[in-house]
Amino acid sequence: MIVTQWFNQRIFFIFITLIFAISGCAKQTTVVLLPDPDGKLGEVTVTSDGGSIAICHALEATTVKGRQGTPTTPKIISAAAIQKDFAEALAILPEQPVHFILYFQRDSNKLTPASKTRILDVLATAEKRNSKDIIVIGHTDTAGNPRYNLRLSQNRAKAIAKILVSKGVERQHIQTTSHGEMNPLIPTKDNVHEPKNRRVEVVVR
Amino acid sequence: MQTFFLSLILISGLLFFPSIDARALGTIGIIKSVSGEVHLINATSTIKALANMKLNQGDSIRTGPNSNVGLIFDDDTVVSLGSNSEMSITEFLFHPAAQELSFVATLITGTFSFISGQIAKLAPDKITLETPDATLGVRGTKFLVKID
Repeated sequence: MIVTQWFNQRIFFIFITLIFAISGCAKQTTVVLLPDPDGKLGEVTVTSDGGSIAICHALEATTVKGRQGTPTTPKIISAAAIQKDFAEALAILPEQPVHFILYFQRDSNKLTPASKTRILDVLATAEKRNSKDIIVIGHTDTAGNPRYNLRLSQNRAKAIAKILVSKGVERQHIQTTSHGEMNPLIPTKDNVHEPKNRRVEVVVR
Repeated sequence: MQTFFLSLILISGLLFFPSIDARALGTIGIIKSVSGEVHLINATSTIKALANMKLNQGDSIRTGPNSNVGLIFDDDTVVSLGSNSEMSITEFLFHPAAQELSFVATLITGTFSFISGQIAKLAPDKITLETPDATLGVRGTKFLVKID
């Protein structure tokens, strides 16, 4: 009985090896281009030892078999073919993170009136995405000394985290970090008041 | 004396600004969602992947049958793996202020979908995806890869 089993396994193994030998153990890579979420089209270049091909039209695909192979001429494939191979992967592909910029009053951790309302959008987005990962990054303009501005940017980030927590976001889902005056949105010389640089960036993932 | 004070200022500056990265978080992204049997593999261990775990350079991710996973990287690149798929993240750097940008990964087998993020916009030539058959270059886009 055991011998038969062993023999069967052996036959199976030889059979599989033969299949690989006949097919040249060929792996192949297929690449398909899709429109971006905003409808734009980019480009993917597929390069093997046998050549290089760019795909740049919607639903265009190319296949290359082995490193020595040449990528096939791009060909439009059907939506059904895409569904067949990629339905699973596409279903779980996360939406890209959403970025918000909240502006502050001069030399203060108080939001501007417009940005106070914008917080509601942050909360709505976090809820919709079921986000457990919100990044809060504090910034200042270059007016004042860098040490003071680092503290100010920390206070701004903390103020936003506090508001989010008060609206029901769990504190452990928020990561805060602060860049002081080192990462301006609008690059300026030192000691320049720039409202667009007095900000906190919130990334909802 | 002036030089002394100047260097003091410079040194304190360095102490206070050790990182000017867009994200001084130490990790490179997160696992956003998991379905079925998915494993996260690094140099020392293999663990069951769960939603909201952090990703690091050098990690590999592997899905079993009827299993899939969605990843979000710090530059907003999103990636998903279908069943029986494996990918390893060789290098991921996203420090735009220091102009250190890189995304190098190996797609070993299976099905993948991608939407590229800020690295593809800022430095498209810094993205390299290797498959067993080819090297993929990416210019700001959504695309699918199947290796079989």
